[in-house]
Amino acid sequence: MKRLPLDDPGEPDSRTAGRYLLWVLRSQLPTILPGIALGIVWMVSQALVPAALGAGVDALTAHDRTALLGAGGALLGLGIITAISGIMRHRFAVTNFLGAGFRTVQVTARHATHLGATLPKKVAAGEVVSIGTTDFDHVGYSMDVSARTGGAVVAIIVVAVLLLDVSVPLGLVVVIGVPLLVGVVGLLIKPLHQRRRAQRELAGALTGRAADIVSGLRILRGVGGEDVVSARYRTESQQVRAAGVRVAKVETLLEGAQVLLPGLFVALVTWLGARFAVAGKITPGELVAFYAYAAFLVGPLRTLTEFAEKLTRGLVAAGRVITLLGVEPELRDPADPAAATAGDLADPGSGFVAGSGRFTAIAATRPEDAAAIADRIGLLDPASEALLLGVPLRTLKIDDVRSHIVVADNDDRLFRGRLGDELGARPAAVLAALDAAAALDIVAALPDGLDTEIAERGRDFSGGQQQRLRLARVLALDPPVLVLVEPTSAVDTHTEALIARNLPTVRTGRTTVVCTTSPLLLDRADTVAFVDVTGRVAASGTHRSLLDSCPAYAATVTREDDA
Amino acid sequence: MLPIASGAEVRAYLRRLIRAHPRMLALVVVLHVSAAVAGLVTPRLLGDLVEKTSAGTTTATVDRVALTITGVIVVVSVLVRYARLASARLGEQVLATLREEFVDRVLAVPPSTVERAGTGDLLTRASRDVEGTSSTVRFALPEVIVGVLQVLLTLGAVALLSPLLLLPALIAVPVLWSSSVWYFRRAPAGYLASSAAFAQLTDGLAETVEGARTVDVLRLRRRRVRRTQAHLRGVYGTNMYTLKLRTVFFPLTEFGYVLPGVVTLVAGGWYVMEGWATVGQVTAAVLYFVALIDPLDRVLSWFDQLQVGLASLARIVGVQSVPVPAADAPPAFTDERIVARGVRFSYVDGRDVLHGVDLEIRPGERLAVVGPSGAGKSTLGRLLAGIYTPGDGAVTVGGVPLADLPLASLRQHVALVTQEHHVFLGTVRDNLVLARPSASVAELRRALATVDALDWVDALPDGLDTVLGEPPLSPAQAQQLALARLVLADPHTLVLDEATSLIDPRAARHLERSLAGALEGRTVIAIAHRLFSAHDADRVAVVEDGRITELGSHDELVAAGGAYAALWRSWHGTDRQPTASP
Repeated sequence: MKRLPLDDPGEPDSRTAGRYLLWVLRSQLPTILPGIALGIVWMVSQALVPAALGAGVDALTAHDRTALLGAGGALLGLGIITAISGIMRHRFAVTNFLGAGFRTVQVTARHATHLGATLPKKVAAGEVVSIGTTDFDHVGYSMDVSARTGGAVVAIIVVAVLLLDVSVPLGLVVVIGVPLLVGVVGLLIKPLHQRRRAQRELAGALTGRAADIVSGLRILRGVGGEDVVSARYRTESQQVRAAGVRVAKVETLLEGAQVLLPGLFVALVTWLGARFAVAGKITPGELVAFYAYAAFLVGPLRTLTEFAEKLTRGLVAAGRVITLLGVEPELRDPADPAAATAGDLADPGSGFVAGSGRFTAIAATRPEDAAAIADRIGLLDPASEALLLGVPLRTLKIDDVRSHIVVADNDDRLFRGRLGDELGARPAAVLAALDAAAALDIVAALPDGLDTEIAERGRDFSGGQQQRLRLARVLALDPPVLVLVEPTSAVDTHTEALIARNLPTVRTGRTTVVCTTSPLLLDRADTVAFVDVTGRVAASGTHRSLLDSCPAYAATVTREDDA
Repeated sequence: MLPIASGAEVRAYLRRLIRAHPRMLALVVVLHVSAAVAGLVTPRLLGDLVEKTSAGTTTATVDRVALTITGVIVVVSVLVRYARLASARLGEQVLATLREEFVDRVLAVPPSTVERAGTGDLLTRASRDVEGTSSTVRFALPEVIVGVLQVLLTLGAVALLSPLLLLPALIAVPVLWSSSVWYFRRAPAGYLASSAAFAQLTDGLAETVEGARTVDVLRLRRRRVRRTQAHLRGVYGTNMYTLKLRTVFFPLTEFGYVLPGVVTLVAGGWYVMEGWATVGQVTAAVLYFVALIDPLDRVLSWFDQLQVGLASLARIVGVQSVPVPAADAPPAFTDERIVARGVRFSYVDGRDVLHGVDLEIRPGERLAVVGPSGAGKSTLGRLLAGIYTPGDGAVTVGGVPLADLPLASLRQHVALVTQEHHVFLGTVRDNLVLARPSASVAELRRALATVDALDWVDALPDGLDTVLGEPPLSPAQAQQLALARLVLADPHTLVLDEATSLIDPRAARHLERSLAGALEGRTVIAIAHRLFSAHDADRVAVVEDGRITELGSHDELVAAGGAYAALWRSWHGTDRQPTASP
């Protein structure tokens, strides 16, 4: 068996859910076929046990020591074969399960990263995550059950042949009766599933409520309301309890039925068998064998119903997977891409121009206008008309644009992992960037410095610390054009002053655009473009000259409108 | 970290919960024992039948025995059904009490414990551990107990047939025992590692999706794909380990299950030929040993779930041992003046964050606290809000130390407003009445109007009764709800710790108006990182390195030409005097 995950999961057939499952099946054939073969050995070795048992009982009544030993040996041998083929089959089953799930996660994750900024607009985060959990399981189980079904079918045929060989009427009772039984029990399963689903939803909501209480605990302890919350939780908890009891009513009915129906059936077989035995048509050993066959057949028949159920779920899961795989990115590489060159970056929509190699600030009366310009000059807005040295960004290869222009805004994320790796590949650049972002103290306070593992979203850091670390990350990347949206909105004035002082130095010779209304940053810019309520650049100049010449600008950056 | 209960504590706790329902417990025990005993009759009757047919008998006898078997099966199924239903009722009851007591305890944990432990640990306990416990209490625990009971009763039934028939089966005991001990010593850790690896995989996928824009812009695609690949390797590795354990354990136990039946058949045959047992007895014994496989297998397959579940249970019960302060009657106050005297505080012994701070808050004033990150501003704020207790010195309100106040009384005096805002599941009304359960609709609307949020709440489909969540409120709206809650709670003093800092600057201005409404008529201590809020304050305190280095009005401090003045000038980017004054 190959080590998983494979480096390359291959290209899925994502036309329909069925084709997707078939693609997984074909890709896994080298482990599925031995799984089926072992499944057959495993089931058949169990199917033969009743025959050996019957022979044993006959030897017992006949006082035949040799035959008894033979039967005992056969039983033991069958037991050993069952145990060994069982575990081998299980190993292949686990490999098939994991292999199918891994492949699914791999193609999903690959496509998700390929979609990039389009992803959150078109797909809810929960959908991708559920591919990693429930869909993983369902695609995996559909492969596992396919292998087992092969064994079950062969075992049923073997038992039917053996039974009919001994006694046709008795054999027919078993061959017809057992599927009937499984069918009746199957009828009970549906209402059970419904109630279970209802109970799971309630229980899930209750867990959500508890998580909600914990998340808001600081607030609750601050303003009160514990009694209200406790009462609400108690009410829902009692609803979950009641739903649990409702599930149990059907569930235990099913358990009772699973004792009753096979029990009655076995009683019927035993009764008929005993009458046949009394009439001398079969031996007492064969009577015991019939009893055991009837009991055994329930297993493989359940596998068949399980197959139908798991295949359905697998198809639903595969449907979700191919839906995601079918989402197209908003931006596509042009057929005949132009070559990227360094130069002025212009946004005709607003009249904004970032001079090549210069530090330009955008101060907007409505900050969302500045952010919109940032999205256009960074080609994050698919409708962007922005020009790089006169060449429309949309005529360039997307990867060329991304390596040339980096837009960092406050929706950016820190990812889990070693902090040093998160910040950049070159340690020297990382340290310089941390220094420029006034973030060295954050790293110094960590137990393992840059080797510290950070939590998801960097949630162990305060808002201001996260902002400085994110700034350090893009500074370390050192792109030719860096667009920063409100890079200091969450840091204190002292720190902001430090960052404002460092930014021009660390970005010397590179193009830098900062969207901000902070006087500290604006004062450091070579040029400030003032964007008024029309969303267009209304005036340009240095911070100080604009303060004197443009009252609307002065009002925006000193916020006298709110004072 | 919060405490984790010991095995003895968990057992004592469970015993208490179960014993709280003595009748249910008695019913469960009686029904299960009867079901198991009745289940043991059938193999015996079958044995008789084989005995009789081999000796030659009449059809009438066969009919009679078959009818008896049918009757027994009906009785057993009814007993099984009601026994399981009874234990389900008891289990659901115990489970409900368990989670309700857990949540009540969580709600009573002192604020300082919550601040220090962080919410991550508690969140895991409230979600993953409560869920893990539920299948343990509902299924694993009863399955294992009932399974053990059935095994013992079945062995008892064999002994009743003939104690001699019990002997050959003993050969399976060492096989099953040693393989189980080997397996269960390793399995729980293995399965925990495997579910942790799965959790990492899903967390990683969630990160990739939620950070999709960052991944795109910073060209992190390959890294994310590599990371998923690494998580998959983790899942594979941990699953291969547990598979290795099963590869040893499963065949050995399966062999152990088959062994008693085979040995009993062969040895029984010898007994029969020696005249020590009848064919019927041996057949019944073999059938008993075959019937033993099912309960034995259930015990063994639920056992690791039980072990894992008990670990979850230990974390849930552990919260019960967090000390909770008793509620005392509030002492008498002279006035509403909050005073800090010689306050020192450290998170780690010997490393003071504050070095003797003296500060007197004048009722009704606006005090801005400014200073560099890490100077101790937020710590000072939490001390003034009574969340932390000073290591040395005291913070008093009306002469009474905040530390001596019961929480309910403290809340009437001072509240902390942070950048953390949380919208609770439920309606707008649910979110507001937390602060004052008796509030009337008029009061709720007034509070919303005060923070400038009434318009959008009225625009919601069901107004105050709109269930929040989809689409989620904007951070600014969430913060407005939090402020409306504060207006309802109505403390005379508010400590604001960067309350608006994480809000998108696009919304921050609107929010400042809401904040102004909430602050109306209260004493305000604002930990500010934007100087414009300092500029509007009555007094400004500059905190540097755990001390208050400057204290006075904005104009006084600017005139004094110290650190604050320098910062103010650089922030304005001019040497001009500020044009605006409060």
